[in-house]
Amino acid sequence: MTDFRARVFGYNRKAKPDEELHAILEKIPVFEGFSPRELAALGRVLHKREYLPGEVIIRQDEPGLGMYIIQSGEAAVISGRDDVQLSVLGDGDFFGEVSLLDETPRSATVVARTHCLIFGFFQSDLFGLIERDPRFGVKIVIRLAKILGDRLRKANVQVLALTERVHELNAPAPR
Amino acid sequence: MIPTVAPSRPSHELVPLLTALAIAVLLLFLGGAAQVVILSLLLAYILDPAATALEARGMSRTLAVVIVVLTLTVVIGGTAYLLVPAVMDQMGALQSGATTEQAADAIRDIEHWLKGSFSFLGLEDLDLLARIAAFKQSFAERIFAFLLNDSLSLIVNAVTIPFMMFFFLKDGREMKKKLVSMVPNRYFEFTLDMLYKMDMQLGNYLRGQFVDAVAFGVMSVVALWILGVNYFVFLGVFAGLANLIPYVGPIAGVIPAAIVAVLGSGDLNSATPVIIAYFILKLLDDFVVAPAIVASSVEMHPVLVLIAIMIGGELFGILGMLLAVPVAGFFKVVLQEGVSTYRKYRFN
Repeated sequence: MTDFRARVFGYNRKAKPDEELHAILEKIPVFEGFSPRELAALGRVLHKREYLPGEVIIRQDEPGLGMYIIQSGEAAVISGRDDVQLSVLGDGDFFGEVSLLDETPRSATVVARTHCLIFGFFQSDLFGLIERDPRFGVKIVIRLAKILGDRLRKANVQVLALTERVHELNAPAPR
Repeated sequence: MIPTVAPSRPSHELVPLLTALAIAVLLLFLGGAAQVVILSLLLAYILDPAATALEARGMSRTLAVVIVVLTLTVVIGGTAYLLVPAVMDQMGALQSGATTEQAADAIRDIEHWLKGSFSFLGLEDLDLLARIAAFKQSFAERIFAFLLNDSLSLIVNAVTIPFMMFFFLKDGREMKKKLVSMVPNRYFEFTLDMLYKMDMQLGNYLRGQFVDAVAFGVMSVVALWILGVNYFVFLGVFAGLANLIPYVGPIAGVIPAAIVAVLGSGDLNSATPVIIAYFILKLLDDFVVAPAIVASSVEMHPVLVLIAIMIGGELFGILGMLLAVPVAGFFKVVLQEGVSTYRKYRFN
């Protein structure tokens, strides 16, 4: 019966938890320390996608809908008119987590360099989780808020340092 | 550099096209089956928040769905239990052709008034009583023939609709995810975005319409019961359902109630309180109930609504008329959201 359901609907709820996926999710700051039950609930809403080498995963300036987690493969982050390569992402790396809260346009393009297996977690999935399991949904949102708070603090420190540097440069040279 | 040549996947690219084609063929050639699937999907979609709310209280999806489906079955079963004896009585009276003295008086009054007011139309030979008796006979025969010929499909539908609804409610999320997984990578985010926005707009609209129909039905039942109109439950439920059809529905709801009130009392004036009651109910519905319940409305041009109702009626009869506006609203939202979302993506 389960085999039949799995064949017809392409899924099997009684299947063993995807340990490989759980191991990847646990390493991502947003999902760090989540219980196996929570990781399993998360795993059920993730979208598994397959990208061939050269295929664009996300495109700069298009709406950001959510985050992607690389299970296996390599992807290049490219930005600007000249397509400058900013970094290369590999197994277990993730990108676009801010889009879970804010649908601003993507700031860079990500292209698969090798055959990539990727999991997508989108804003609509997060809202669905909040509706079905508010405690768990809010846990993810708070985690995201903390990450954004940390980044904002770091950005503030950098802005402060740069401002001081500008003041130093603008200060009249001692006679 | 971003490679300009995207990997080709002909089999994947064809999937959405083939799916759309399959749906169109199903709708065209399997009218009855399509109707059952659409109705089950619509009910599952409307009831989904109820199951989700139970899920949020810690229940498993399956248990939540079982509770929702059982509650709906009890409500529909209970209503049918209350209605069937009354409807059967009415059928019996209709087929025997019996007309009460009060009803005959009322019909004679109407005939007299018609002959007086519209004599220029040549109504001298009008014999309303005989015509009504003949109509009742043929109407009752048609209803019994329908029940005999279509009883099997009625029973099949009564079983299949809740069955399909159960699985759409329980496994709908996984089914949707599976369908989305078939979309090529380039259109995947666009599809997700569009589906989500459609769900936001359409979900509120359809659920609002459903709750509004229930509210109008309950108000009508209470009003007709207070006015002492026969078969108030049947007429009230009918008015609630008819209220789903814009423009035509409210009129279609009041006419049978007014006729039953006149035939029951034998007094033409007894239609007046019924018409006034419906008028007040419609005002209440439009200015108090609907704005509170229908969170967002899918604005459609009246001509478009009427065309949709006519097409629905032509294809699937009364059920088609009831489903016409939500289905037209669905296509409008698909088109609207599809175009606005498409513009945000740089498709070649």
